[in-house]
Amino acid sequence: MSAPALPKLQADRPLHRRINIISIAVWVVLAAVAILWLIPFIFMIFTAMKSLPDMYVTKAYSPPGTIYWENFQRAWDTGNIATYGKNSLLITLTKVPLGIFIASLAAFSFSRMRFARQNTLLVVMVFGSMIPVQVALGPIFHLILDMGLLNTYWGILLPYIAFGLPYHIFMLTNFFRTIPRELDEAAMIDGCSRFGLYWRIIMPLSKPIIATLFILDFVSTWNEFPIALVILQNSKMWTVPLGLMSFSGYFSMDYPGLNAAVLITIIPVIIVYLVFQRYFIAGLTAGAVKG
Amino acid sequence: MLKHQAPTRASNPFVKALPFLLPAFIIYIVLILYPIGNAFVMSFFKWDGVSSHKEWVGIANYVDIFTRDPVFVRALSNTGLWVVLSLFIPTTWGLLLALALNRKIAGQTIFRTIFYLPAIIASIAVASIWTWMYNPYMGFVNASLTKLGVENLIQPWLGSESVAIYSVFAAYAWTATGPNMLLFLAGLQNVPQELLDAAKVDGANQLQAFRHVTIPSLRPAFTIVIALTIISSLKVFDLVYQMTFGGPAQSTQVLASWTYFQAFSLHNYGQGMAIAMVLLFLTLIIVVPYIRWSTREEK
Repeated sequence: MSAPALPKLQADRPLHRRINIISIAVWVVLAAVAILWLIPFIFMIFTAMKSLPDMYVTKAYSPPGTIYWENFQRAWDTGNIATYGKNSLLITLTKVPLGIFIASLAAFSFSRMRFARQNTLLVVMVFGSMIPVQVALGPIFHLILDMGLLNTYWGILLPYIAFGLPYHIFMLTNFFRTIPRELDEAAMIDGCSRFGLYWRIIMPLSKPIIATLFILDFVSTWNEFPIALVILQNSKMWTVPLGLMSFSGYFSMDYPGLNAAVLITIIPVIIVYLVFQRYFIAGLTAGAVKG
Repeated sequence: MLKHQAPTRASNPFVKALPFLLPAFIIYIVLILYPIGNAFVMSFFKWDGVSSHKEWVGIANYVDIFTRDPVFVRALSNTGLWVVLSLFIPTTWGLLLALALNRKIAGQTIFRTIFYLPAIIASIAVASIWTWMYNPYMGFVNASLTKLGVENLIQPWLGSESVAIYSVFAAYAWTATGPNMLLFLAGLQNVPQELLDAAKVDGANQLQAFRHVTIPSLRPAFTIVIALTIISSLKVFDLVYQMTFGGPAQSTQVLASWTYFQAFSLHNYGQGMAIAMVLLFLTLIIVVPYIRWSTREEK
């Protein structure tokens, strides 16, 4: 992008130098803002590593003298993190593939087939991604209650899948539309059924968008709170955010333990983010740019 | 194509698409459209949300929330405040960061990662971290103010009726800036370099090029950021629930939390649904033109 601009800048020496000074100034400001941005994390990590007496005598912003690892053990045990983590993992790893599969079927018909009122239907579906879940939360609770699915995995999976569908369908339809139509005809002439076309041609070609959606949806399902709050009332079924909600109770005055518990629960998501950053950014911007 | 079939039921294009559409449609209708419709119907009933007795009261719930429920008015104005603050603060920061990071700069990826990081953390964790930051005695904020010699700025950040909503908003801004930055960065990648070069050849300085080339090319990015900012401001719930539970003295209630508390804690189910309908109405004002714009743009 900036490559063509380089020769011009070099030809124009004073401007070049000025831009360099601007670049350094910009860098310094960015670095300062970045440190400010990290303060909540740093403060949390510092606290998680101090012993309780240490926390009372040291300043909030000072690093721990000696690292007190016992906090993490205590947080793990007291906070039931293993249970919540297992529930979250089970729910997320079922919800994400199932949701993407159901959405991809619909996206296939929106992008590869023609039927009346197709675009109206697509708009109606996409509309769902922008409605605050609280609008429907009361009736969803009563619906799941009537179905006898309160405090069950299916009781939480169904609303999760429903609220994930609009965004998935929107993204997948946009991506499927970029796959050339000639492939369809070639496959049909070779005797491929419609489902074969979907499963053997379109889906394999869509790996990049599927990977992106997988990561984005993994994180947002893992972090979901309001639906879990009303559907999962039995603490044995709680997910990580519900566990986090109650930590302030478990660790009423034990701030190092509380912060250690919070730290343990956010580390997996941070790792997922750092490893799959590329997909994250591609996904978040692709949807927007294609609009 | 090469098929010669009599126009039977099976050749109806919609019927052919149905197996693909059906799973998504059933789930969508049952778990999104029906609950929204049900919320609308229930907003005309008086019901505690538990018993079998439901009483039709017409628009009484709506009249009540606007005339007899001071918390609703507070929640409505807080939601409005939230939208306005969001339109200024996290968007401006996002734009400035994007402009800075759009230059060739050392550590670009690291900066981008840091600024986006808060957005991937569960909002309940964000709430927990910031509640600890605001702790009046041991929190980072008051300790730093003391260190900086401005003790007079020390506050019970989440305990003061006039300040708490801004304290919660600060945590929100921390998470909302990164996504805006990314959207603006994506927009900046789409600014045509030829136009910038042409502007330079025509003797425009950097500022003029920015005003007449960069800003107009960022228009779609602005539209997206503004729409998403308003939509996500209307959805704010987790932070309020975890940081203040709507308090102190209901001063941090927003529409999304107040509809929840009315329906689930206070057993005014009908009024809760009336509030949900106000929230839905506000959302539709933004969503309908936005979807129209984005689907037109696509063609």
